[in-house]
Amino acid sequence: MRTSRRATLALRTLALVYLVGLLAVPIVVILWRTFGEGLGPFLASVRTPAAVSALNLSLLIVAITVPLNVVFGVVTAIALARWRVPFRGVVQAVVDLPFAVSPIVVGVSLIMLWGVGGWFGGLEQSTGIKVIFGLPGMVIATVFVTLPFVVREVEPVLHEIGTEQEQAAATLGASGWQTFWRITLPAIRWGLTYGVVLTVARALGEFGAVIMVSSGFPGVSQTLTLLVHSRYIDDHNTYGAYTAATLLMGLALLTLLGMTLLDRKRTHR
Amino acid sequence: MITVTDARKTYGDFVALDDVSLEIPAGSLTALLGPSGSGKSTLLRSIAGLEDLDGGNVRIDGEDVTHQPPQHRGIGFVFQHYAAFKHMTVRDNVAFGLTIRRRPKAEVARKVDDLLEIVGLDGFQHRYPAQLSGGQRQRMALARALAVDPQVLLLDEPFGALDAKVRADLRRWLRRLHDEVHVTTVLVTHDQEEALDVADRIAVLNKGRIEQVGDPVSLYERPENDFVMSFLGAVSRLGDRLVRPHDIVLERDHATAASRQAAEGAVGPLVAARVDRVVRLGFEVRIELTADDGERFVAQVTRAEAERRRYTAGEDVVAWALRSEEPVGAGPVA
Ligand SMILES: Nc1ncnc2c1ncn2[C@@H]1O[C@H](COP(=O)(O)OP(=O)(O)O)[C@@H](O)[C@H]1O
Ligand SMILES: [Mg+2]
Repeated sequence: MRTSRRATLALRTLALVYLVGLLAVPIVVILWRTFGEGLGPFLASVRTPAAVSALNLSLLIVAITVPLNVVFGVVTAIALARWRVPFRGVVQAVVDLPFAVSPIVVGVSLIMLWGVGGWFGGLEQSTGIKVIFGLPGMVIATVFVTLPFVVREVEPVLHEIGTEQEQAAATLGASGWQTFWRITLPAIRWGLTYGVVLTVARALGEFGAVIMVSSGFPGVSQTLTLLVHSRYIDDHNTYGAYTAATLLMGLALLTLLGMTLLDRKRTHR
Repeated sequence: MITVTDARKTYGDFVALDDVSLEIPAGSLTALLGPSGSGKSTLLRSIAGLEDLDGGNVRIDGEDVTHQPPQHRGIGFVFQHYAAFKHMTVRDNVAFGLTIRRRPKAEVARKVDDLLEIVGLDGFQHRYPAQLSGGQRQRMALARALAVDPQVLLLDEPFGALDAKVRADLRRWLRRLHDEVHVTTVLVTHDQEEALDVADRIAVLNKGRIEQVGDPVSLYERPENDFVMSFLGAVSRLGDRLVRPHDIVLERDHATAASRQAAEGAVGPLVAARVDRVVRLGFEVRIELTADDGERFVAQVTRAEAERRRYTAGEDVVAWALRSEEPVGAGPVA
């Protein structure tokens, strides 16, 4: 059946209105509110000690989360795709768990686990390391919610490339490590890159799990998302919330841009 | 020389290799021939160390390698689907084994260039596998396997993914290469023509067992059983025997047939049959017949013979075979 021109036009209009209404309008509103008063107030607002600290904390959490997830994600993906894993179905479900569970539930369970009176709550008394209401808690929460991305991007690539290249490397004398570095890693690099990009985006944007385990002091333990929240809710600083949101959006945009550039480089090869 | 003794491999209840013993002489080009699923790849991969045997052992040049990983077996392996390292150039692919062995750069470069010339890929050094045709990729894979000077070269249906013309060219080329390099080579194939064409020894596999080993001529001329007979070429059933269609002689009457058969010193049944169809296939003529007992069979004669005898459809003849071994197992032909 051929859709008539009028129907096509109607569908296109509908899709456009939907996109504009849902995406473009809010973004434009935020940008307009942010820059409506000029660049100066914006810069001042994102340069306050609290904002600088929030940016640094967000980036620090990303910097810790990404390597952890890369190592864990690649090892898990290889285990699932290549090795005989007992209870494979259970492992798969566990990997997907963070997708299914609401971040706020993650936060609550971390408090129950690491908080005062929790299973690992003794750690704070014995070593003085503050997990809940400290950086470790925020990192653990972020690692948890971003856990599936690398695994889910890399595992299908491993299945797709198959085992023959790795076997060929073995017959040519390469050890397991040599095969991993020279054959497997280059073959999965795009999947891994996507996984990292998604991890970065999600780590920057994570709110529900982090707010539960952060002490939330401005200038100390606020990430960018927490800063947006507290400026809006606690300080009734609507403008400050918009500028912080714009900063967050800028970072996300950079990530997206990086991914697009990498993608272009890949398709041109 | 490769010696496989009582090799056994099972997948659950399924027996992929059923106590296989095989000797592959040094410097030979041996084909493992058999239908799909007969265990050819499993046997080859066991020799390579890509598959662990459940029993038996493998020796390469006298050394027991049964428990050695593929890295330490001194082998070169070529896969059906090339297994090219996609992210590396042709040069880096071929150099891989030498780079792993940390050979000096100049030596690697020289050796790679030499090999690329031998396999006819000179000038393709900087291409990526995606920029090569299937045949070129497989030649690159061969060069890559040869670069490490393997004691044995193992090829698993190396031409199986290529079209007929390229396949025929490449196997001749492989034969010539083998005549020059003399590395002990094992070639897996399900194509009897390919095996007869390139190999100097053939091992016929069926259901995880070896049916017969020998040179191409003796396998074709003196198959030990129905399976080998029918797998190595066309067969017709004449009475209780399997014969090659080109060994069938057709006479006009029983007496002539009997006297000619006696004169040739041949034995076997004389089968009355009717000609259904005469098909001219260039040099040869195929005659389709139905025997008295209803069995349909095919005889193949030269064009000259067909013209002399002038067979026509509907004609009654008596068929006998120049060569037929002892009556073979009555079971259905696999
Ligand atoms: N990993 C495996 N698991 C289960 N069965 C297998 C496996 N590999 C091979 N087989 C079985 O073993 C038999 C022989 O396989 P293979 O050696 O690949 O046959 P061929 O190369 O002669 O076609 C086949 O029936 C195949 O299904
Ligand atoms: Mg096979």
